Amino acid sequence: MLNVYTPDNEKYNNIDKSKFVLVQAEKEIHDAKFETKAVGFFKDAAMRFIRSKISVVALIGILFILFLAIFGPGMNEYGYNDQNLDYINLPPKIPVLAEYGIFDGGRVLQNRRVDGLDDTSRYPEGCILRVFNEREVKGVKMCDIEVDYYKYAGIPEDVVFWFGSDYLGRDLWTRMWRGARVSLFIAFISVFVNVFIGIVYGAVAGYYGGKTDMIMMRITEIINAMPQLVVVTLFILFFGTGILSIILALVVQNWIGTARMIRAQFYRFKGSEYVLASRTLGVKDRVLIFRHILPNSIGPIITRAMMAIPGAIFTESFLAYIGLGIRAPESSIGVLLSQGQKVMQQYPNQVLFPAIMISILMISFNMLSNGLRDAFDPTQRGA
Amino acid sequence: MDKPILEVKNLSVSFNAFSGTVRAVRNIDLELYKGETLVIVGESGSGKSVTTKAILGILPKNGRIDSGEIIYQGEDMAKYKEKDFYNIRGKRISLVFQDPLSALNPIMKIGKQITEALILSGKYDKKSAKKRAIELMEAVGIPKPELRYEQYPFQFSGGMRQRIVIAIALASDPEILICDEPTTALDVTIQSKILELINEMKAKNDLSIIFITHDLGVVANMADRICVMYAGKIVEFGTAEDIFYRPAHPYTWALLSSIPDLDTKEKLFSIPGAPPNMLAPPKGDAFAQRNKYALAIDFEEEPPFFKLSDTHYAATWLLHPDAPKVEMPEILAHRIERMKEANGIVD
Amino acid sequence: MLKYVFERVLAMLVTLAIIVTMGFMVIRLMPGSMFEGNPDMSPEQLAALEAKYHLDKPLLVQYGYFLRDAFTKGDWGTSLKLYPNVPVWEILQTRIPISMYINVYSLLISLPIGVILGIVAAIKKNTWVDYTVSFLVVICISVPSFVFATLMQYFFAFKMEAFPIIYEPTAVGMAKLYSLALPIMALALSPIARVARYLRAELAETINSDFMLLAKTKGLTERQATINHGIRNSLLPLMNIIVPMFTNILGGSLVIETIFAIPGMGGMMVNSINAPDYEVTLAILIFYSIISLSTILLVDISYGIIDPRIRMGGKK
Repeated sequence: MLNVYTPDNEKYNNIDKSKFVLVQAEKEIHDAKFETKAVGFFKDAAMRFIRSKISVVALIGILFILFLAIFGPGMNEYGYNDQNLDYINLPPKIPVLAEYGIFDGGRVLQNRRVDGLDDTSRYPEGCILRVFNEREVKGVKMCDIEVDYYKYAGIPEDVVFWFGSDYLGRDLWTRMWRGARVSLFIAFISVFVNVFIGIVYGAVAGYYGGKTDMIMMRITEIINAMPQLVVVTLFILFFGTGILSIILALVVQNWIGTARMIRAQFYRFKGSEYVLASRTLGVKDRVLIFRHILPNSIGPIITRAMMAIPGAIFTESFLAYIGLGIRAPESSIGVLLSQGQKVMQQYPNQVLFPAIMISILMISFNMLSNGLRDAFDPTQRGA
Repeated sequence: MDKPILEVKNLSVSFNAFSGTVRAVRNIDLELYKGETLVIVGESGSGKSVTTKAILGILPKNGRIDSGEIIYQGEDMAKYKEKDFYNIRGKRISLVFQDPLSALNPIMKIGKQITEALILSGKYDKKSAKKRAIELMEAVGIPKPELRYEQYPFQFSGGMRQRIVIAIALASDPEILICDEPTTALDVTIQSKILELINEMKAKNDLSIIFITHDLGVVANMADRICVMYAGKIVEFGTAEDIFYRPAHPYTWALLSSIPDLDTKEKLFSIPGAPPNMLAPPKGDAFAQRNKYALAIDFEEEPPFFKLSDTHYAATWLLHPDAPKVEMPEILAHRIERMKEANGIVD
Repeated sequence: MLKYVFERVLAMLVTLAIIVTMGFMVIRLMPGSMFEGNPDMSPEQLAALEAKYHLDKPLLVQYGYFLRDAFTKGDWGTSLKLYPNVPVWEILQTRIPISMYINVYSLLISLPIGVILGIVAAIKKNTWVDYTVSFLVVICISVPSFVFATLMQYFFAFKMEAFPIIYEPTAVGMAKLYSLALPIMALALSPIARVARYLRAELAETINSDFMLLAKTKGLTERQATINHGIRNSLLPLMNIIVPMFTNILGGSLVIETIFAIPGMGGMMVNSINAPDYEVTLAILIFYSIISLSTILLVDISYGIIDPRIRMGGKK
C-alpha cells in the first residue's frame, strides 16, 4: 500500500520542527566530486588481473619454466651435446626423490627366471627394487622385476641423469631446458618482430586511410589467403633451416593480425574529438600516431602478443617434427618430442617430459592471455 | 473508479553486480486502468525500464524481485515461473523496444518474425498467419506489405523497423502494451509519427499502455496519468494535468524546467549533480543532495506520500504542515501559465 | 550475388597463381642441380637429363613448361629420389584418399561435438557445466595435436592396447575406421575446442541481444527463442572459423600421419623434404593450397547464401 501521510500519524507528526528548514537554498549545488581516487590504466588492469586466480597461477607456471629454461641447463655438469655412449637411454634418477619410489632410475624387465634373481653377476646387489607378476610357465617360475637400472648396468654411483639420457647418452634434463630456452627464444623474438611490424603497418594504413589503406590492406589479404603451412615450408626451403630463418618464417604471415587490429583502432580513434582537437592545434602526424592514438591499443597489443606466443611455440615444434625446424644436436621442444616419439615404447620418459612441459607452457600462456584480455578489457569478460 | 487491470504493489527489484547489490527499484506502487496511457518518466537509471522488465518476467539473469506483488487477472505475476509467462507475453502483455535497430533478428525475414509467434502459439496456420501479418503491416503503415513481407530488417529504415516491432507486439491482440522509450532511438521527425501510430493503435485495439520515457515533452499529448520516478522510487504521480500544471515535487519541477520550449528565453535548466549510487542509496530523500529546496529532515527520513487530490500524490517533506511554504521556481510558474493559456485552461 | 561469387573465385585464382609461382621459383632456385649427388652419371648424361626436364632453359621458360604440363597433361613432374621415375601425380593419387579420410572424419566429428559443447556452455553460462567445458577447451586448444597423438598412442594403444599402435593398411570398412580412430581423435580435439569456444562466446552474446528479448516478449518459450533466434544466428559466424579449423587439421595431419605410420600426404611431405625430393614437395604444397583455397571459397560462397545481407548485396 501507498505510504500516505495522515495528520494523525504519530511517526510523521512528532518531528522536531527545527528540521523543517531549507538547508541548501543559498548553497550552490555542484556536480558531486568523485570521492574515489582515480586509478591508472595499468594499476586498474593489474588489480583485475590479480583477482583472477587462474591467470596468476598461469603466470607463476610460465615464470617457473622460464627460470628453468634460463638456469636449468647450468644446474648439472652435462652440456646439451655431451655424448657418452656408455650411458645411453638411462631412465630418470634423482637421488633425493629415489627413496619415495619416484625418479629412482627404475626400469621394468620382463620374463625373468625367479631362481636366477640371486645371481649377483647378472643382478648386482641391491639393484632389484620390486618383483611382481610371478607365474609358472612350463614348470619354470617366471616373474617381472623392476631394477635400479643404474646399478643393474654397473654405472658408477656418482653418475645420475635427472631426466634420463637419450640414445647418444646426452643428459635429457639439460637438453630439455636448453630446448625450452631455444623454443621460447624463437617464440619471443618472432612475436616481438610481428608486433613491431604490425604496429607500424597498421598505424600507417589506419592513420592515412584512403588509397594507401586500400592498397596496404589488399596486400595483407593476399598474404593471408595463402596457407600458412605452404608459406612457412617454402620460406624455410629457400632460406635454409636455422633459428633466424625459423623466426622469420613465423613472421611472414603472423604480423597481419596485429596490423589489422591496430588499423581498426586507428579508424576508431582518429575521428574522435580529442584527435581532431590536437590536429587543429598543429600537432605533427608522428606525435598524433605515437602519443595520442597508439596508447589506446596497448592493452590489446599485449594480449595479442601473449596469445601469439603459444602459436609460435607450436609452429616451431611442428617444423622440427616435419624436418624443417631446428635440427639435432641443437635442442628444441620439437626436436625432443620427435626424437622421443620414436623410442616411446621402450623409453617413454624421453617423450613424456617434453610433452608435459610444452602442455603446461601452452596452457599457461593461453590462460594468461585470457586473463590479460579480461583485465585490459572488462567488457569482454568471459567472452 | 474501476478496478485497475494491472497493479504493482510495493515492488522491489535488485541486481547482483560485480561490486555489490544494486537496488534498482525500491517499494513502488503502480496501477494501470483499462484504456489509459500511464507514463512513467525519469532519468536513466531511475528504474523505469527495470519495472517493466519485472512485469514481463524478463529481468536479466542477475536481477531478481525482492518483494512485492504484480497483480494481473487476479494472479501475482511476481511469483510466476518462466513457464507461466508463456501465456502472458505477447498474448496479453506486449513490449515495444527502445532500439528497433537491434530488436529485429538481422537474418530472419520480416514476415517470419511477425508470424513466428502466431504459428508457434498454434492458433494460426501458415496461410492465416501471413494474412494476419500483412493486415498488421498495413495497419502500422508499411507500404506494399506483400513485398516487404519477404524482406530482411537491413532493408528497412529505423522508423519502418519500429513500425514492424509495433506490429509484432500487436500480433496476438494483447490487452496491455508496454512501450519502453519507443522513440528515443529515432529521428525527431519520425518520433511524432510513431507516437501517432501508437495512439491510433490504442484506440483501434482497445489497449492500455504503459509508456516509459525520460522526456516529458514527448508524451505531453498522449499521457492520461504520469508517474515520476527517481532513484528507484516513485516521487510523484497524478493525472497529466496534475503533473504538468500543478507539480509539487522539486524533482518534477526540475524535470519540467529542463524541457525546452519555443517561448523559453532563459537559459535551459539542468539538474545539478548526478543520480545517487544505487549500490548504497542515500538515507532519507534520495534527491536531497541535488535539491535546492532540501530540508534538514530530507537527509534523515524518507518522506511519505502527501495527498494533494484524489488523483495526485507527491513524496516530499515540503508538503508537511510544519514545512516552510515554498513556491515552485518562477521560471516554471511562468511556463505553466503559458501552457495553460495555449491550451485554453483557466483555473 | 553472381558478382560476389565471381569476385571470390577470381581472388582465389590470383592467390593460387602467386603460390604456384612462388613455390616453383623457390624449388628451382634451390642450390645444386636436381640430379646432383649421383656419381654414376657422366656430364653428358646429366646434360641430357637436364635437357629432358628443360632444366637448361631460363627459369621463366621452365615455369612455362611446368604450367603447360601441369594443366594440360596433369603432369606435375617426376619423383627423382623417393620413387625414381614415377610421375608425382601417380604417387599423389595413392596418398590423397587416406589423408582426406582422416581429415574429413576429424572435421565431421568435431563440428557437432563442438557445437553441442558450445551451446551447452553458453546456456549454462557461469555454472559448473560451463566451467568444465571451458577448462577442457583451454586444454584442447593449448596442447598441440601431435602431443595428444603421442600420449594417446602411448596410453590407449601401447599400455591399454585398446587401439592398434599404428595404422593397419589392410583394414577396410569399420576396421579401417577403428585403426584410424586415434589419429582422428587427436586431430579433432583442437577443432572441437575451437568450435565450442567460439560458439559459446557467440551464443552467450546473442542470448543477451535485443532480438532474443523481443522473441521472448512476443510469446516464444525460452527454448523456442534459443533455437530459432539464438542458435540459428550464432551458427552463422561459425563459418568464419571453419577455414582456419580445416587448415589446422590439414597441417596437424602432416605430423599425425608420421606418428601413426599412415601412408598419406603428410608422411609423403616429410619424406620428400628429408630426401630431398622437391618435385614431390612442390606438388604436395600446391595440392594443399588448392584444398585450403577451395575451402575458403566454399565458405565464402555459402556465407553469401546464408547471410541475406551479402546475398542481397546489402552492406556487410
